[in-house]
Amino acid sequence: MRALQKTLLAGALAALSVPALAAPDFPEGKWWKRPRLAAEIGLSADQSRDIEKIFVKSRTRLIDLKADLEKKQLALQSSMEDQVADRRTVEKEIEAVENARAELQKARALMILDMKQILKHEQWERLLQMQQEMRERRMMEREGRPEGYRPRDGRPPARPKASRGD
Amino acid sequence: MEHSNSPSHLTDAELFGLAIPAAGVPEALPAHFSDCLACTRALQEWKTAVRDLAADGGAVDGRSAEEWAAAEAKTIEAIRRARFARRPLPWRWGVGVAASILLVVALAVPSRHTPQRARPGVPAATDLSAEDQADDALLRDVAMLSRGDDGAGAWNSLLPDSGASIREEDRL
Repeated sequence: MRALQKTLLAGALAALSVPALAAPDFPEGKWWKRPRLAAEIGLSADQSRDIEKIFVKSRTRLIDLKADLEKKQLALQSSMEDQVADRRTVEKEIEAVENARAELQKARALMILDMKQILKHEQWERLLQMQQEMRERRMMEREGRPEGYRPRDGRPPARPKASRGD
Repeated sequence: MEHSNSPSHLTDAELFGLAIPAAGVPEALPAHFSDCLACTRALQEWKTAVRDLAADGGAVDGRSAEEWAAAEAKTIEAIRRARFARRPLPWRWGVGVAASILLVVALAVPSRHTPQRARPGVPAATDLSAEDQADDALLRDVAMLSRGDDGAGAWNSLLPDSGASIREEDRL
């Protein structure tokens, strides 16, 4: 019974924290190496170096987890394309893919959490805000709206509080 | 000049011969004319026609040297005007060439400048070293895979697109 409670609690925490940290608002790629972005949030050379260290520490694991997920996806895809696929086998492969994805998501979220510790609160906020603006701009461009268009009185819409990790 | 060719009247050939005598000397008219009013009238018509023809020919033949020179100059001028109107003007060629150059420039310039357009937060590929670019790609892949929107490899990509289904339902 206690094991079940633990599992439920862990699941609830994961549902709350992992999507928050791994939210699409967080900049993708090596954002701390982009001069304009670094200047915009006032990232110092020391901060940049520390963030790079965190990434380097996580890199091998990220590569492994990514490869593992891709291999499992490939196996599942083969089974799904098989005309006489065994239902039980496919079920296991789906679970394997989602577990591998969860592992990758967790590793990424923890790396982002470590990076967040390096930044000041204002820097973190500005970083998320910039990413939000960029995403909106991309969406507008895709929808064919003019580039300077802002949906709410010229200001970007506020991010939902629940989606942040702090 | 419709004159009957009855045996009692003169034929058209005879009337023509009388209207234009062969040697330029008028022939003696047959006695028939004193009795036949129709033939007399027919001969008069022939003579009038011959005179008219002679008058037309005389208008060209009677031109003086000045009149010929003036007519020649007028003809040459008319020919020049016609040739000039048919030939495309030089400035038209210029406009065509300039328009072609502008079109090429308009097509080439935006494609050359697009990658240089600054967008805050989006780095140009040249901003990062080769190693950083590889790391950048890794981080992007990881983000995409962990979100589950990696398309081809995802098992749920084999399922129907829920968004598309909703749009389809809206249409029904």
